[in-house]
Order: sequence, then C-alpha cells, then structure tokens
Amino acid sequence: MPRPSPKTNSGPSAISVVGCTVSFSGQRVVSDVSFSIPSGSVAAIIGPNGSGKTTLVKAILGLVPMDSGQVRIFDHPIADAHPMIGYVPQHLDFDRRFPITVAEFMELARHRHLEREKIDEMIDEVGLPDSTLKKQLGQLSGGQLQRVLIAQAILNNPDLLVLDEPASGIDIVGEKAFYDIIRHLNREHDTTVLMVSHELSVVSKLVDTVVCLNHKMICFGPPKKLLTVKGIGRIFGDQTQTFEHDLIQSLGHVHVHDSAHSHAADHDDIVKKRPVTKKKKR
Amino acid sequence: MQLLLEMLQFPFMQRALIAGAMLALLLSILGIFVTVRRMAFFGDGIAHASLAGIAIAILVGVSPLPVALAWAAAVALAVWWLERSTRLSSDTLIGILFTASMALGVVLMSFTRGYQPELVSFLFGSILSVRSIDLTYILAIGAVILTWLLLSFRHLTYMSLSEDQAIVSGIPVRLQTVILYVALALATVLGVKILGIILVSALLILPPAASRLLSSNFRGHVVMSVVMSELMVLLGLAVSCLYDLPSGATIILTGTAIFLLTALAGRLKR
Repeated sequence: MPRPSPKTNSGPSAISVVGCTVSFSGQRVVSDVSFSIPSGSVAAIIGPNGSGKTTLVKAILGLVPMDSGQVRIFDHPIADAHPMIGYVPQHLDFDRRFPITVAEFMELARHRHLEREKIDEMIDEVGLPDSTLKKQLGQLSGGQLQRVLIAQAILNNPDLLVLDEPASGIDIVGEKAFYDIIRHLNREHDTTVLMVSHELSVVSKLVDTVVCLNHKMICFGPPKKLLTVKGIGRIFGDQTQTFEHDLIQSLGHVHVHDSAHSHAADHDDIVKKRPVTKKKKR
Repeated sequence: MQLLLEMLQFPFMQRALIAGAMLALLLSILGIFVTVRRMAFFGDGIAHASLAGIAIAILVGVSPLPVALAWAAAVALAVWWLERSTRLSSDTLIGILFTASMALGVVLMSFTRGYQPELVSFLFGSILSVRSIDLTYILAIGAVILTWLLLSFRHLTYMSLSEDQAIVSGIPVRLQTVILYVALALATVLGVKILGIILVSALLILPPAASRLLSSNFRGHVVMSVVMSELMVLLGLAVSCLYDLPSGATIILTGTAIFLLTALAGRLKR
C-alpha cells in the first residue's frame, strides 16, 4: 500500500476526532468525544480506570467500530492512514512459549523497502543490546518486551505513534528511560505521539496536550492549565487520592490550586503510601 | 523393505503416498497457526461436522468428498460469522455446530440401508479409499491453499501473535481470518480420507507440538514441523502396509511415538 502524505493542505492536525461514540452491548463507553491533536506534538489521554481510554484509542485506530463520529489521521480516513501509524498495545497477549525470536518478530512489521539493518538500528534506539534480537520473545522481561514493541512500532518511521499505557509492567528506572525514548522520538524524528497514561508527573512534563476522559471528554488543553488539584478532582473523582503523589511530584511544573500546598505538607505520608496507591492504579 | 518396494508398484499405494505427503505438508503448516491461535478444537470439530455432508452425499448418491468439503467450508464460515455477531467463543460455537452437524449426519445415515463402506472409510480413514478423483481434489485444493500460505505467511504469523498490531499495520485481518478458517476446514476434510474423521485433527496438532519442543526460532519451528509431519505420515503408512494395520490409527501412533521421543530429546537438551 503506498504511504499517503502526512502533510496536507488542510492544516497541521495529526489526529482529528469528531463526535466519537462507541458502545458495547448497548452500554455507551465513549460518548461524543471531539478533539484535535496538532502534528508534531505529544498528547496524552488520561482518566480513571474504566473511563474508556483504551476504547477511544482503539476507535481512533479503527480497531473497534464507532456508533457515530469521524476520525481523520493527517486528514486521511483511518483505513488509508495505517502506513503512517506505529502502535504499541497495552498488552501483547500471546503464547509466551511460541518459538519466535525478537528479530523474527521485528521482521513481521518491516516494510519490504526498508533494509534489514533498520531492525538493528531501532533495537539500539530503544536502548536494548544487539543480543536481544536472538532471544525468544517470550523470554523477555516486561520492560524489554515494551521496548521491543516500541522498536517495532517505530521501525517504519511512522508519522504518528500511538501507545496504550506504554509504561505498564516497567519498573520506575525503566519508566524514566522509556519516556526519554518518547521524548527523543518526538524531538528528533518529529513523530506525533498519542498515549494513554496514568503517570501524571510524566504527563505534566512530557505532554503538550491532555485529553481528560471519563466516558465523555471532561477537559482538553495543556497540562499546566488542567492538572491542578481541582482539575484532577474533576477528572478522577473518587480515585483522586491515587494520583496525589504524581501531582505533588510535578508541582514545580504545574500551576497548582492553593489547596495543593496543604497536600504538599503531607508529601512524606503520601510517599510512604505510594506502594499501595501504585498497586491500586495498575 | 522388499515388500514395501513391491507395495509401491500398486497404484493405490502410489496415490496414498502422494496424498499423504501433500496432506502432511498442508496440515503441519496450518497446524502452526492452529496451535498459536489456541484453536486446537477447530480441526476436530470440523472433521466431525463433515459427517453430515458425507451422509447427504451418500443419501443423494453422489461422491461424498466434494459435498463434505462444501459442508465443512459452510460450517467454518458459520463459526467465523457467529464469533463476530455473538459473545460466544470459537470453542463454544464449534462445540455447538460440530455436535449439531454430527447429530444430523447420524440421523441422515439412519435412512440408508445396509453396510456403508464409504462411511466406514471416512470414519476411520483408509489408504485404499484414495481414488484418482480424490487425489485430484487433494492436489488441486492443496496447491491453492499452499500458494495462499506462501503469499500470506508473514501476515498470518503477525495476526496470530498480535491481531490489533496487524490491523494497524494495514493487514486485511478480517479477510485473512475467513480464508484461514475455510482453508483449515478444507484441508481437514481432505485429511479425513487417510486418517478418518476421528483422528485427522492429530495431524494438525502433533507435528507443531513436537517441533515446538525442540525449536528456538520460528523458521526452525516451521521446517521441523513439516519434517516431523512427513515422517509421521510416510512412516505410519509404511508400518500400516507392512503389518496390515489401519492406516489412520498407525499414522497417529507413529506421530505419538515421534512426539514422545522429541519430548525426551527436549528434556535432554535442557
């Protein structure tokens, strides 16, 4: 399939979603969501568990049917835009005993016109040693597998990279390296990034635009404006406490409502609670 | 050995060997996708469901194989369609359709009178039952499926490991899945001629399962699966001829022995 041009005369929008509504078994999971993500930016969809984030991402990618609405990627309908997209799913649900090496798995996604050496290059780009290519896919740790999935997603130089909770299953050290990769891809390769994320501290530092979702779109805009204690309360409701630490971590980068200072005083307590709240999140 | 060479002079034995070699190749490759997609029950269900097609053909007085092929393809399409339009899993749907279709076959067979050699050969398989016209079906349909497998192998592997990523990469996953289901149904029914309804699914499962125990990469897995399948069928046929044993059962027992030896070798390798 010939690759359509990402830049069109209709404007710089990478993703345009208008009135996206998705239902499963009569239950509305995503309701009338509309937003637009500029080309070359990093955007995140945030929201509580079960708020429809993954469903929205899948609707954007054409993986689940919409009841109504329209999605355009670089002004192309989704069916024509697939060659421009790299996708990292939330989980790779495969038989881990299946004998396939990382190199063979990467090869499955390689466009025929790309040289085989590009696979080595991408593995290097995500910070994995060359020896990883000979390992079996099922023998990788969660963090290594996520990096392989990213390497595979960026193999064909996508204009848009979509990641569904990309840091799930990665430890805190790995998380930082992982988001460094995202930043590098965006800055050096001008890749537009859309991700689902729970890490508010990361979102506030890395992301240009936030889509807050709780079945409906609650808010949309830059994180510095939206990620206040009041704003988080609106988005997460009962789950707000889960995200307090992330918010406090990013205080220096986010304009916080006055009441946040009282939360900051309890910072140590919240840090102590972190293992519990982290577990609750995932 | 002398006896085997003498047996090879017989046209029925030549047909059985050619048909066996083609089916071993076909079912071992399809079996890789069956095992990775966790749909081992599919082959078994389709083979049993084909009984209704065979019964219809016998009642009407036409050749059973083409009717069984058409019936199995229809059941495969029904499973695919119901999978998408209901909340039921493929295993549940196959369980329902296979028992219903088999029950229909049993009821229809009750209307026929006397001993039915065609039916017995379909139930348990027989090398003697492979006629020239059956061989033509096996080679023609087998060649079409093999060509499709060759052209779609990368797509099939990718969508079997990660369907969503395959869709996003632009692979026509829905179309390829329909073709895979129909190809599996047709190949399984072709295998029924040699192995029988009851045993044919073993040729889908045993070679990839044995190959998996020794393979460390996908290329090796495919090659080893084909080699083991050919060994299983050709050795099984030879043993069944030498000792005058039922071909289907002997092939499966040979395959089981290969699997056990492979499991042992796999343990020693570790």
